[in-house]
Amino acid sequence: MSFLMFLAKMGVYSFPIILIGVPLYAHLKGVPVYETFIKGAEEGLRVALDTLPYLVAIFVGISCFRGSGALELVSKAFGFLLKPLGLPVDVIPLVVIRPISGSGALALTGDILRTYGPDSSMGLLASILQGATDTSFFVVTVYFGAAGIKKTRHALGACLFGDLCGFITAFLIWRAMVR
Amino acid sequence: MNAVWLVLVGLGCAVALLTGNVDEMMASVLEGADSAIELVIGLAGLFCLWVGIEKLAEESGLIKAMARATRPVLGVLFPELRGKSKPLGTISATIVSNLLGLSSATPLGTKAMREIKDALKDEDDQMNAMIRLVVLSAAGLCFFPSSVVALRAATGSAAPAIVAGPTVLAGLAATCGGLSVHWLFSRRRRSK
Repeated sequence: MSFLMFLAKMGVYSFPIILIGVPLYAHLKGVPVYETFIKGAEEGLRVALDTLPYLVAIFVGISCFRGSGALELVSKAFGFLLKPLGLPVDVIPLVVIRPISGSGALALTGDILRTYGPDSSMGLLASILQGATDTSFFVVTVYFGAAGIKKTRHALGACLFGDLCGFITAFLIWRAMVR
Repeated sequence: MNAVWLVLVGLGCAVALLTGNVDEMMASVLEGADSAIELVIGLAGLFCLWVGIEKLAEESGLIKAMARATRPVLGVLFPELRGKSKPLGTISATIVSNLLGLSSATPLGTKAMREIKDALKDEDDQMNAMIRLVVLSAAGLCFFPSSVVALRAATGSAAPAIVAGPTVLAGLAATCGGLSVHWLFSRRRRSK
């Protein structure tokens, strides 16, 4: 537990350490700190703006899929297929949404934790699934958008297969934990 | 991406027409376009902050030092980039951000993508390195899943951090799975 707390704290404390450490080090090395930061910030702004058309495209696609009820249908179809494997029906929408929408998945996990309790077996499974991977659609869109690349080859497929591996591992660990 | 986008929009519209959910679908699409703008505005500040800090790290030589320190690992993962310390340094900063769960992961990752594109001439080399970075980031391997743990604590869990170990293992599996698919595809491409 203390090792876990150390990892948790490391994430939190590294932020202020980097924020003050990097400029201080640069200053000592004789880099004009303010001017250089502005130069980088300008570049950052350009990168962020470059991703906009890509993000609009993927958001329109995803919200069309979601708003029409198609996502729900796909979840149900998956539920039908996955039920024999012992995956609880309630977490199936989470598995489908996780790679598509980060905020959607977090909201769904919140619902499951509130309904079943965070320490119930269902709550445990939802938590592990939520933490298993990042939002593949978002990462592929933003990263390639920033580089101005429209043809992404097998990138999304590889990421989604990775997600699948993560989910299967999460499911197996959960089964071992609950039993 | 072409096929994915067509399937999302096509299937969405088809289902909307068949079930009469057209109004809801339309509202959702407009909202989606709006939220993309909102997201970019939200991201812009984050990007400015972190790319600004990264620039300081670059000019002071920290990025080069990171590239040197992580060469044993990144040299294997990104053989195309051997000797190119600028993209390698930014990639290592991206991976460290991901592992620590810092908000700098996306800004640095996108900058690394641009640097990979600039550093390499051959399109296949560019794409292979970029896809590997994207796979690593999308798997989002992280020492400590702080958002889930916070959510568990907020909903009254007695042991919110108990999921940390399992999520790391699942993240490792996601990373390995994604990288293997990329390896298979890039090999098939080369043999053509």
